Amino acid sequence: MLSLLSIFFTCLALILIPCLFIFRRPSVPLFLKKAIIFIKTATSQYNDEEESGTIEGKEKRGRMPKHVAIILDGNRRWANKRGLRVSEGHEAGARRLLEHVMDCFAIGINTISLFAFSTENWGRPDGEVNFLMAMFEKNFKSEMAYYDRYKVKISVIGRRTNMPESLLGLIQEVEEATKSYKEKHLIMAIDYSGRFDILQACKRLAEKTKNGLIQVEDLDERMIDKELMTSCSEYPNPDLLIRTSGEQRISNFFLWQSAYTELYFPNVLWPDFGEAEYLKALTWYQQRQRRFGLRV
Amino acid sequence: MDFNDPMLALSSWIGQIGDFGLDLVWRFIHIVVTLWHIVSGIFESVESYAISLGLIQKYSSIDIEKLKCLAVVVDIEAARDVSKVIELLQWLTTIGVKQVGLFDSQGLLKKSKDMILEMVPRSVLLQETGEKHISPDRIALEFISSSDNKEAVVKAANILLEKYLKSIHPENGVGENVFTESHLNEALRVVGESVHVPDLLLVYGPVRSHLGFPAWRLRYTEIVHMGSLKYMRYGSLLKAIHKFTGVRQNYGV
Repeated sequence: MLSLLSIFFTCLALILIPCLFIFRRPSVPLFLKKAIIFIKTATSQYNDEEESGTIEGKEKRGRMPKHVAIILDGNRRWANKRGLRVSEGHEAGARRLLEHVMDCFAIGINTISLFAFSTENWGRPDGEVNFLMAMFEKNFKSEMAYYDRYKVKISVIGRRTNMPESLLGLIQEVEEATKSYKEKHLIMAIDYSGRFDILQACKRLAEKTKNGLIQVEDLDERMIDKELMTSCSEYPNPDLLIRTSGEQRISNFFLWQSAYTELYFPNVLWPDFGEAEYLKALTWYQQRQRRFGLRV
Repeated sequence: MDFNDPMLALSSWIGQIGDFGLDLVWRFIHIVVTLWHIVSGIFESVESYAISLGLIQKYSSIDIEKLKCLAVVVDIEAARDVSKVIELLQWLTTIGVKQVGLFDSQGLLKKSKDMILEMVPRSVLLQETGEKHISPDRIALEFISSSDNKEAVVKAANILLEKYLKSIHPENGVGENVFTESHLNEALRVVGESVHVPDLLLVYGPVRSHLGFPAWRLRYTEIVHMGSLKYMRYGSLLKAIHKFTGVRQNYGV
């Protein structure tokens, strides 16, 4: 009976799994999408309940990243490939984001950071920048109830000095409404720069020194860690950083925090980053042997 | 009560079989992805040998001028084999790279600095020549470790902190704004660090991270994972550099 069942599941996987990799945008039925999430959750539970096996093996098999950072690259190229406007590319990217955030939390990821808008992006055409700011506002308004219902803590990191007042007000509102939630944390990096993050941490420490809260001699790496914008998270250093569209650089995102982050650079454009790509990224991450700069 | 016991046992049994089946499916996904990587690895090896033999025309000429500064990150285990590092540097000299930063987190390559400089022809220490005065026939080497990353930023931050505290006006308690990129660059130079941003970073080792390479310098650096240093291939190196010369960055704009 057991062998029959295992044969059945293997045949099912043989047919279904290759389809995930062959079709660019698999129209995965809803029940199958939920099944994939369930598979991962069930497998993690199964591994947790296992009594034998080495800790190393158990970790490798069931290990999920606690913090995943994503550079959402490729919206404009996606739109250009289809003869669409750039704004439509950004809208497709935003829909993709909303579709998958909850799926990521469901499989055990605690923190998701999204590089939505960099400080350098202010140099883009005014029309595009204004559209993006309006889109952020619209999404915060429409999704606030959703995040509240699913107990997702929202944090926005970045400079905030150039943002429209209306967007700033919404950010404060959504952060205040969700600040008590702990299990799921969504960090949106808007007007964020890794270098600025380091500098503002140093500046905050300078203010603390001026006010007598710390001594100059006490300044060390851990103090800077605590003043970075990612200190709002229980897991400030990402385990996995994904940059879509095939570009292989981190472009001023989480410079300090990414020392031992696994870097994954798939070729797919962000609006096309679907369930199959998530599966690939997570299985790839689970096969990595993280050393944190030490000998094994 | 009697009816419930067999039912409970049955549902527990079904649950266990279901979990087992789901585990099989997940493991199968891992197998498929691993096979995919193995097959693409084989293709890459074949391509690399073809490139090394000069069979693929497009790699025979590279616009090396675009690559002003190359950084190489080496895993600790790989850094113990200095001969492979030397071989890599000799290849880079052949390709025409002028400036190379060598990084390993524990500073093992720093300790072997003298031997590396002796064994790599026409190599000089970057600190001695400076970035602007490298002769065309030389390769300038820089040796970097984790102490040049966060520790260095902490030292530089200390300098800025003291400057800020000294600049505070007693009347209004406001100090000079010394927390800018240019100020931190200057402070890093004072503590003996280079602030030159590498154009390309090659990572040799099993990990796909930059292992703590100086964070301040990584802003727009292309990061390419090259695999094991022990099994490094000249063709793969040429391909990575050639691919970099074709990259067009928009720097966020």
